[in-house]
Amino acid sequence: MKINLKELTIEKAHESLKKGEYTVADLVGAYLNVIKEKNTEINAYLEVYDDVFAQAETAQKMFEEGKDTLMTGIPIALKDNMLFEGHIASASSKILENYKATYDSGIVKQLKQEGAVFLGRTNMDEFAMGSSTETSAFGITKNPLDVSRVPGGSSGGPVAAIAMDGALVALGSDTGGSIRQPASFCGLVGLKPTYGIVSRYGIISMGSSLDQVGPFGKNVRDVEILFNAINDYDKNDSTSIKKENRLSSLPLKKKIGVPRSFLSGDGTDPEVTKNFEENCEKLKSAGYEIVDVSLPLIKYSLAVYYIICPAEISSNLARYDGIRYGLNSDEQKLYDVYTKSRGKGFGKEVRRRILLGTYILSHGYYDAYYNTAIKVRDAIKKELDNVFLEVDAIITPTSPFMPFKFGEKLEDPVSMYLSDLFTVPANIAGTPAISIPSGKNKDGMPFGLHIMVSVMREDVLFTIGKDFEKLI
Amino acid sequence: MKLDDIKKLADLARIDMSESEMNEIAKDFEPILAYVGQVQEAVKLISTNKDGENNKKSEDYSLQNVVRDDVVTNNKGEYTDKIINEVPDTQDGFIKVKQIM
Repeated sequence: MKINLKELTIEKAHESLKKGEYTVADLVGAYLNVIKEKNTEINAYLEVYDDVFAQAETAQKMFEEGKDTLMTGIPIALKDNMLFEGHIASASSKILENYKATYDSGIVKQLKQEGAVFLGRTNMDEFAMGSSTETSAFGITKNPLDVSRVPGGSSGGPVAAIAMDGALVALGSDTGGSIRQPASFCGLVGLKPTYGIVSRYGIISMGSSLDQVGPFGKNVRDVEILFNAINDYDKNDSTSIKKENRLSSLPLKKKIGVPRSFLSGDGTDPEVTKNFEENCEKLKSAGYEIVDVSLPLIKYSLAVYYIICPAEISSNLARYDGIRYGLNSDEQKLYDVYTKSRGKGFGKEVRRRILLGTYILSHGYYDAYYNTAIKVRDAIKKELDNVFLEVDAIITPTSPFMPFKFGEKLEDPVSMYLSDLFTVPANIAGTPAISIPSGKNKDGMPFGLHIMVSVMREDVLFTIGKDFEKLI
Repeated sequence: MKLDDIKKLADLARIDMSESEMNEIAKDFEPILAYVGQVQEAVKLISTNKDGENNKKSEDYSLQNVVRDDVVTNNKGEYTDKIINEVPDTQDGFIKVKQIM
């Protein structure tokens, strides 16, 4: 039977599977056919796992035994930085090209319990460093909506997989915007949860105080379902928030804040600004009051990020030394094993950020950059806390510009970094944020609305998101 | 930034690179450091906001270490094969490294 993948949602799939309209193997097979047809051009997947049908069988049994949940049998694409035992996880880097995960990440463990089916690992910017998936060591990924354009990054593979109908949902990671920006570029919903809500155990680290794993889907409800399936407390992640410290939902104020002075910079495309104003009107029609909020420090978030993140990167990537795993360059001296393995294994952007981080943390510069950045970070957090006492959410466009063409932003690093301007504050402050598709321009390229709320209030994101979705 | 500065950083970071790449990185550093230097401006804004800071009702961000009990939780050799399979250079079930001294 022909399954309508374009219109499929988690709940529709679950109902059909439960009724026996098709089996998990049928559903998985349908996605594999699309991947066979489209992946050579799009390069969303680096690898389709060889045990996909075995996973499907396990899921099918859960339906037969009545032990199924919403996520049972649902085909998911993983990002290449998520450990799935026995399968390669390479962070799209040559230094981990053949590394097979020796354990399951916390999120994989949780989804395995529900019988979700992991279709394969998808492409990313190398070690998640980038906003276009152009720095992958294994080729670019094309935006299925326009193959001359980037899908965004660093989670370009997961979003392209869904956008080409090669997966129903996907998981990505977000350190500065790497879930939300690609979601916007490919017309999908992408959520970065509260820092500490989703386990980072088994996720290849980039910036440990910033990294979070989150779901992608075609609509808010699918993202909500997947989020609920991966947000258990995990004792293996020392930053995981314990159950007793998690907040429960509170009534909405129905007030949304717009940081007008932050948006008034001239780096934003006029058509993005026009779409944002239209989004504000739509929210007003849904009964929300839109107010101007003052956030004088928020515009420094990007500068803070590009100090803290490279510093943490230089520390986190020190483990790739050719000794315990990964690429090893066989040299005479130990020093050369380190320098040559890393020299051969790391790409250009990774090297640049490691050196930047090394510089920032070195004697003489530590105070001027790193210590100053963490002070400003703390102040930005407090500034946002105060504003969230008055409003439910803060909105901006997700990206200051539309999906760009390949090569357009590779020459000037700062112009690429500016992709994260509106997404980065949520990583700096640890607050949850979502990107929701908000229409298309005359070239058919999608706009995205970015909504940020206070910590542990993902429920507010889902409420506002569902209200907004109805109006697009 | 000069070539020598980058050479020192590359040595600290244990990454082997060509001189031409190091020169390129030295050039890249300038606009990046100029951009992130904005934090100097930002930090001045905080010190003048003393009153605003005390008005906030947010919680005390006291940090605690999260540790587990210092006990062995696995059986001897339980994970050895899995881990050793990923090690590039091994001998008799040990990770092999070049001479340190």
